[in-house]
Amino acid sequence: MRLAMRELIRRPARFVSAAGPLTLLVLLMLFLGWLLDGLFLGSTGAIRAHGADGFVFSADARESLLRSSVDEGDLNAIAAVDGVESVSGIGVSLLGAEVPGEDDVANVVVAGYQLAGGVLPEPPAPGTAWADRQFNALGAGIGDVVLVGPAATPIEIVGWVDDTNYLLLNTLWVDPETWREIQNANRPDAIVAPGEFQVAAVTTVDGIDEAAVRSAIDATLGTETLTEQEAVLAIPGVPEQNATIGAVIYATAVVVALVVGLFFALITLERTGIYALLKAIGVHNRSLAVGLVTQALLVALVAFIAGGAFGLFLGSVMPAEVPLELSVGRAVFVLIAVAVAAVAGSLASLRRIVRIDPASAIGAGV
Amino acid sequence: MWLALREIARSKGRFALLGGAIGLLVFLNLFQQALLNGLVTDFIGAVENQNSPVLVFSEQARKNVEGSFLSQDQADAIAAVEGVADTALIGQNTFTVLAGGDDADAVLFGYELGGLGEPTALVEGTLPQGANLAVATEADADAGFGIGDEITILADGGPVITVVGLASESRWAVTPTLFVSYETFEAAQLAVNPGSEVVLPSLVAVQPDDGTDLDALTDAIDASVPGTEALTNQEAIDGNPAVVNTSQSFNIILTLGFVVVLVVVAFFFLILTVQKARPLTLLRAVGAPRAFLVRNLVIQIVLVMAAGIAAGLVLTFLAVVTAPVGDVAISVRPSTAISTVLTLFVLALIAGIASIRRVLRIDPIDATVDAA
Repeated sequence: MRLAMRELIRRPARFVSAAGPLTLLVLLMLFLGWLLDGLFLGSTGAIRAHGADGFVFSADARESLLRSSVDEGDLNAIAAVDGVESVSGIGVSLLGAEVPGEDDVANVVVAGYQLAGGVLPEPPAPGTAWADRQFNALGAGIGDVVLVGPAATPIEIVGWVDDTNYLLLNTLWVDPETWREIQNANRPDAIVAPGEFQVAAVTTVDGIDEAAVRSAIDATLGTETLTEQEAVLAIPGVPEQNATIGAVIYATAVVVALVVGLFFALITLERTGIYALLKAIGVHNRSLAVGLVTQALLVALVAFIAGGAFGLFLGSVMPAEVPLELSVGRAVFVLIAVAVAAVAGSLASLRRIVRIDPASAIGAGV
Repeated sequence: MWLALREIARSKGRFALLGGAIGLLVFLNLFQQALLNGLVTDFIGAVENQNSPVLVFSEQARKNVEGSFLSQDQADAIAAVEGVADTALIGQNTFTVLAGGDDADAVLFGYELGGLGEPTALVEGTLPQGANLAVATEADADAGFGIGDEITILADGGPVITVVGLASESRWAVTPTLFVSYETFEAAQLAVNPGSEVVLPSLVAVQPDDGTDLDALTDAIDASVPGTEALTNQEAIDGNPAVVNTSQSFNIILTLGFVVVLVVVAFFFLILTVQKARPLTLLRAVGAPRAFLVRNLVIQIVLVMAAGIAAGLVLTFLAVVTAPVGDVAISVRPSTAISTVLTLFVLALIAGIASIRRVLRIDPIDATVDAA
């Protein structure tokens, strides 16, 4: 193992051939992962923001937030179900908005809600909004007035909330009446009635069987109540994104294993004579294998650091339309995946090492 | 040639690993392009395959059909712009429907029958000739959207729509799509929004006068009708937010994939050339011309790439046939596959330049020097 380390330190150029492609593959995996996280978090924040134990959709909505409808009677009936602690109606409108300092119209979500929960404080005063902090990127600040929809309904930003966007659109959180006014003023083809919302976020009493409460709500109202995770996965495109980009990430990890295997096979071939000599003086196959795996892991680590640095740079220069979420968790996942792939790939050379005959060191059999 | 082949035959493991890695990279690249192609087609097929050359959106929608709605005043003003021969209203929305005995999502595109907005990729049956008739998407025929099937809009008084035709590549937002009369669309909208005061069109389709420049016409509409954004059909497709976001992200990933192929091939053959330096020098010393050695190197690159690409194509074909991604109908266009293969060959040859230069620098006199 010490020999392997010394070789790495004294002859680093020998390992550039493996580290170069690996760096690019790490960059690819990190970029894919960060993209997946960015797409997921940017699409689902408005659901996760409430910290609710369940979301009640009307039965005919097919789990679509925009097509669901619950009224005041439904909210009261949900609140009366055993085990329900609180119920908050939620409604969203997808509209264009004029943001101060911006020439182009921005797409925004105006979301009305009733109760504080999760990352959301109590609803703001009528005509004002908690804005998702991503509005900063559009140049908006606290005190700015955003003109929403064709009716140019004014909403003043009075504070920030984090990670609350929906379908990659920046969200303005308002009180229920302001939401209904905005919806009805700007979408006369989709009027909402007084007391009407789209879904209800439900919080259950601590320690109770949440699944039983959700079932009881559906049995009482004929609705469809989803967990937070189910509601998130019901957002159009989210499951497909997770499945496809996830599959590409795992396939890339297989390529990493192949590339490591390929380059360590070449390096092993180059060192056949030295390995024979080492075996002739009594070094065990196991020691040689440990040295090889150590080298593969260290090369993978260097590639991870270099790929990570490239990734951070790339992330900083990407246009805002590419939703990257530079998360540490994803980086750790990639590090583990690359390390496992490097070990698997390097072990491909093990067979060749075992087959080396120590006698060949002195020319026997040649 | 024989030398190159014999070396590959004697070092199967090494070349197989390289071929395998390239095969997987080719598969990744082609599969991502297939996915991108499928996603884009399924996102915007309904607009791509309709007959209106110009579509007018509300400016606030930012090219998003779902977010677009226009007033009757705006529709009238568009019709009055110079260079406009004809206009028609198009309505679009997603509904919960009963299809094939199950609840399902369906997008309705309402258009004025016989006019603009009509689907152009009909593959079976007929276009709708009256209310409550529809052309559905071919990909969803087996899911209760086949010819003769009845689809009910799930709402009090929701219309029951009968499928009379099927169109290919005409979905919207990866969802079964129905082209119906504008009146049918209005009935569906009013059924799900009984409190609504009015049904607004999502878009206005425009037929220009003969010989009218489309770009000039869209500019004229934007200037003449406040709050509108007129786009050619191609601009509406290219500017669709889903297409823009998806394409940007995928293009970055695809570029990285191509660079990885370049680097892997370059390093592999460079190491191989360095390891073979002594025998190559010997070959030069006994009279082998430089061109002979370079030719062998290029043959090896081409053969390994061909094998890797073949493996990648087979994997992609199997994945496309056996592993549909959700509801997305993924497909590889022949033009995409051909351009990818050619690009990879060119990149591989570029990757071989370092090795070729190394071979060209070999001096036969070195064969007389004791390597030790």
